[in-house]
Amino acid sequence: MKDLVMETRVDVQTVKIEARKAQVFYGTNHAIKDVDVDILDKTVTAFIGPSGCGKSTFLRCLNRMNDTIASCRVEGKITLEGEDIYDPRVDPVQLRAKIGMVFQKPNPFPKSIYDNVAYGPKIHGLTRNKAELDQVVESCLRKAALWNEVKDRLHAPGTGLSGGQQQRLCIARAIATSPEVLLMDEPCSALDPIATAQVEELIDELRSQFSVVIVTHSMQQAARVSQKTAFFHLGNLVEFGETSQIFTNPRDPRTESYITGRIG
Amino acid sequence: MLNDQHILRAFDRDLESVQAMIMKMGGLVEAALADAAKALETQDEALAEQVRRGDAAIDALESDVNTECARLIALRGPIAGDLRTVLTVMKIASSLERCGDYAKNLAKRSLLLGTMTPIPGAAGSIRRLARQVGLLLKDALDAFIARDPGLAEDVRQRDHEVDQMYNALFREFLTFMLEDPRNISACMHLHFIAKNIERVGDHATTIAEQVIYLTTGALPGEARPKADLTQDGLSTGGQG
Repeated sequence: MKDLVMETRVDVQTVKIEARKAQVFYGTNHAIKDVDVDILDKTVTAFIGPSGCGKSTFLRCLNRMNDTIASCRVEGKITLEGEDIYDPRVDPVQLRAKIGMVFQKPNPFPKSIYDNVAYGPKIHGLTRNKAELDQVVESCLRKAALWNEVKDRLHAPGTGLSGGQQQRLCIARAIATSPEVLLMDEPCSALDPIATAQVEELIDELRSQFSVVIVTHSMQQAARVSQKTAFFHLGNLVEFGETSQIFTNPRDPRTESYITGRIG
Repeated sequence: MLNDQHILRAFDRDLESVQAMIMKMGGLVEAALADAAKALETQDEALAEQVRRGDAAIDALESDVNTECARLIALRGPIAGDLRTVLTVMKIASSLERCGDYAKNLAKRSLLLGTMTPIPGAAGSIRRLARQVGLLLKDALDAFIARDPGLAEDVRQRDHEVDQMYNALFREFLTFMLEDPRNISACMHLHFIAKNIERVGDHATTIAEQVIYLTTGALPGEARPKADLTQDGLSTGGQG
């Protein structure tokens, strides 16, 4: 089916999410135009671009968060492991358990640290008993590099944690349903440099198990954490490639202008 | 698009400043090479001495370029074309510094040669070689400022001619030495001079290659013509 060269190149990492000719309209406003992109498994993909370029809009298409906006219409094809996620038979709630999301501002539930993480597995019925749930909570908090800081106060409110800890709690909550893909919309923009570094380190570790897509305004962050970078401009995907190539030798002059801080 | 200014204008000023330093270094090196060759031919001790002392200014500029580039990397975080500019500037500065050393060495040897039996025609040939190499260096630096990969490629190809001139000189000096052993000291010095000028040509090629990297993002891959010859085992030939 494939020749050898193709095989070695393509099969190293499998494609998790595939978007083809994706379009998004807000009413008459054509916000995303003909976006083709492959999100690879076990890879961090960064979406960069100026404000209003459509990167967050596109990110939200990937787990149907745009369904909640009445005027929003998505066209084209977006598949998760070959399955069309906009198929009417797909339950968006189930889909979001597979494609988790972390937002810009940490938004823990007004519940205990434990309940924040346990919430997803509970409603999706992923555990059979308390012991299993305890285990999931601990393992997720460990993966989110938060366990050591909170293990003695699991029943304290999640909102009482520091900003960086709250964001890591949100990440623990997002991975508690064992998602396949984790979407992060500027996860560090409300954090100080130390908390940012911790979250970045976490993203790098999560890469061994998940596919991560991160929207960021920080070019340096995209350069630090991602392996693939997509540059969006005015609703178009201008350039998509290896992060190291995008940041040393971008092919499109618009990418170069934007990432080097020139007027584009 | 690439000529567009940065939103942060201080970044542009910093980048322009290091490139201006390179051009200043280039000007000094070209002059040092031309003056040293002239001093050799005219046996002008004062001029040779001036070249010898002038090298300190070239060394100081290289050090300034490195300091400025380190500061620029730390404070501005250059990426893409900006990063390639900074990397190229540092490499060019290091090449030019070496070229300055070769010119200084030429000047020193020309002072020594003044005390020896002259080799007829040698100083003129050396000066022609120096002029040719000076042109290569000038064109390589012009290609850098103009971001002209075509001119840079031209420089790469023309280094071949310098190698051939050097090989011819090598054979000429060999003949003089075979003719009369009393010529050996002078010819050895003249040979080192020729070899060093040929190396300046190699540095011009390195600069040209950096310009190609800067403008295209990749170093030229394929080999260029080399005049590394004299298969008889007597000569080393041009390198690089």
